[in-house]
Amino acid sequence: MFYRRAGIRHTRYQDERQLWPLPFDKGLVAVIAALLVVAPFVVEPLYLSSYLLPWIIWSTAALGLNFLMGTAGQIHLGYGAVMAIGAYTAVHLVLAGIPFEIAMLAGGVMSAAIGIVFGAAALRVKGLYLAMATLAMQYIVDFVIMHFPAISGGSLASIAVPPVTFLGVPVIGDVRTYFVALIICAMVTLFMLNVQRTSFGRALAAVREKDYAAEVIGVSTFKFKLLAFWTSSFIGGVVGAVLAVCYLRSVSPDQFHLELSIQLVAMVIVGGLGSVLGSFFGAALILFTPILLNNLIGSLASDFGLAISTDLRSHVPLMLYGALIIGFLLWEPLGLAKIYNNFRNYLLVWPFRHAQR
Amino acid sequence: MEISRRNLLVGAAVAAIASNVKISVASAQEKVIRFSMPQDFTRIYTFVTAEYSQGQRDYITLINSRGGVNGYTILADVSDHGNDLPRAIEAYERAKAQGAVLIDPLSTPVARALVPRVLQDKINMITAFSGRSDAADGTVFPYVFPLSPNYWTQAALLIDFFRQKDGDLKGKKICFVHIDTPFGKEPLPILQTLSQKLGFELQTFPYTPPGNDQSAIWPQVRRARPDWVMFWGAGVGQTVALTEAIRNGLPMDRVSSSVWLSQSDMQVVGPDQAVGVMKFDPCVTGREPKVIQDILKEVVQAGKGAGPEDKIGTNYYNYGVMLAGIMVEGVRMAFEKNPDGPIDGPWLNQGLVSIKDFTLDGYMPPVTVTPEDHQGGGMGRVSRWDGKNFVPQTDWFTAYQDVVWDEIKKYSQEFAKTGK
Repeated sequence: MFYRRAGIRHTRYQDERQLWPLPFDKGLVAVIAALLVVAPFVVEPLYLSSYLLPWIIWSTAALGLNFLMGTAGQIHLGYGAVMAIGAYTAVHLVLAGIPFEIAMLAGGVMSAAIGIVFGAAALRVKGLYLAMATLAMQYIVDFVIMHFPAISGGSLASIAVPPVTFLGVPVIGDVRTYFVALIICAMVTLFMLNVQRTSFGRALAAVREKDYAAEVIGVSTFKFKLLAFWTSSFIGGVVGAVLAVCYLRSVSPDQFHLELSIQLVAMVIVGGLGSVLGSFFGAALILFTPILLNNLIGSLASDFGLAISTDLRSHVPLMLYGALIIGFLLWEPLGLAKIYNNFRNYLLVWPFRHAQR
Repeated sequence: MEISRRNLLVGAAVAAIASNVKISVASAQEKVIRFSMPQDFTRIYTFVTAEYSQGQRDYITLINSRGGVNGYTILADVSDHGNDLPRAIEAYERAKAQGAVLIDPLSTPVARALVPRVLQDKINMITAFSGRSDAADGTVFPYVFPLSPNYWTQAALLIDFFRQKDGDLKGKKICFVHIDTPFGKEPLPILQTLSQKLGFELQTFPYTPPGNDQSAIWPQVRRARPDWVMFWGAGVGQTVALTEAIRNGLPMDRVSSSVWLSQSDMQVVGPDQAVGVMKFDPCVTGREPKVIQDILKEVVQAGKGAGPEDKIGTNYYNYGVMLAGIMVEGVRMAFEKNPDGPIDGPWLNQGLVSIKDFTLDGYMPPVTVTPEDHQGGGMGRVSRWDGKNFVPQTDWFTAYQDVVWDEIKKYSQEFAKTGK
């Protein structure tokens, strides 16, 4: 009905390489993009600043990490540190009078430069060993930030983000910060959608599946693993700058601890490895489920007069949250994006039932 | 009902929508002053928050059961932010939408992240024993209220206590054992300045966070043969530090902590072994004070207590009562200044900065908050553990506020320069 697709259509590589093989997908994305653009003018400020804004920032970060984990098959447990490098670089540069646009890119470049030093370890180790190497990056970056007052901001270790402008517009208030984050998110999303269709994306897929086999067919694993780390770290650095300027508005070391890295890994895995859409789904689930469950239990306790102690009220949402994540992973190990994909596949031939098992 | 994928998804969606219905219902209420208290009940501060929040809620229940303030009841909206910034910011924005005039997040990272927002939105944020120490400067942080001695004041006060005991600190050796995080290192500039001023030797011993293992540090402290030891941490690091200090045979009557030491910590360490150890006290401990007696009589006996009765009178519980007391006093003063409101952030702000010599019937040192000083005067005292309780060793006092305010001004001016 919606997708209007039956029979074999794509018999040529050009067709297969299209960004939107189905017109409906293109329309759907256009509608969602339009909704996101008009959202600040129709949505309550609470939902804009506490839901939409963090969602697009964390989704962008998840996209950056997903590029490394899903597209290139490399584990990274220190992505929070990568974002920290970008955030601190950008904020210090802005304080020094550099325009935000340049400071943000410089944050990305700095993250990429430091990121590939650790990424170089990927050339020698894989799997759990690589996880350990990236974890070490997290700890080393945390340590360096905390022990250099010039970076962290002295004994209070907190730096306020000064007012900045983006493309000549002052980034103040909820709406403008939202649009800055949205522009960056859109650019990263477009990059991610396109990269999988390029030779770069295909080379990374080859490296991901079997790196020595990729080497045999002429793909330089050295070059592409390093490039994957570079690109992913660059995106991480840029998102770190956006996070600091548009959302946190002040930076301190505790904002970029291991918890952030773990949270991002969870978003990528729950959303779906290698899926652009999945990063958005994963970010939404990991960010908002605890909040929504907390509000739900809170409203049960206050509005319906249920005698739930504060202690229980605090812990029940976390238990439900854990159960929900395990549930999702059990029912659909390929992530939330796969659930959408199944739904889409079902509708592709609707009302016929060919797609069902 | 079969738990299928579809049911799971539908259930999650219904829960998500249902949890957001609340906002319009709550804001329709009248004659209510809303305090937002999203705090960390589940991740790092855990039992500290549980006891602190219990004290706050019991005091607010006491006030409400007596008819509230000026006919208004105070609504303490307690939730869990788990020290997670997106959750805390969502709670803050929700509180703002619901018309809260005050927020008390009891978390340093959350308070730091909320500072720019509260300054912009004009909502009063309480950062007792947390947040930025330079927020004591009300001229730069008009809507941020520590309302309690910050870490710099606590360190200076403890040094002065050592000086009072020894007569003179010249040539003495003071060891500062601290968690190696910005919070742990915060008192260092004050201690260094005082070391030059008073002529004592300062040796610092950082331990790695979270502080579960400090076995390498404390033998070094012992070998340094200190005259005094100050240990600075929070949560698990505190009990480990105290255990190691006892194991290494350091004389407990020469060892002191900051504000973060409680009866609950002593139960972990062993109440008899830790006899003699000292801590900074911002208010009275125990159940003797009138306000605690009133809570026991009018709240707990009426079955309206917010938590276990045996926690009443413990340190963190009493901190909660202290802060709730100051907040409510702020509301009273706000009604005195502007009886007709409108009840909003700036209205309460006027009340908070008008608090003068407030002691809650002798429960705490005189607290005077002014538009310039949001620390409330910075008074406290030193207490010693006698095996059952913390017994005060001094009267309420404060020390070296000139040094402390130099540091406050240094950072607040930096913030003023970049943040606005």
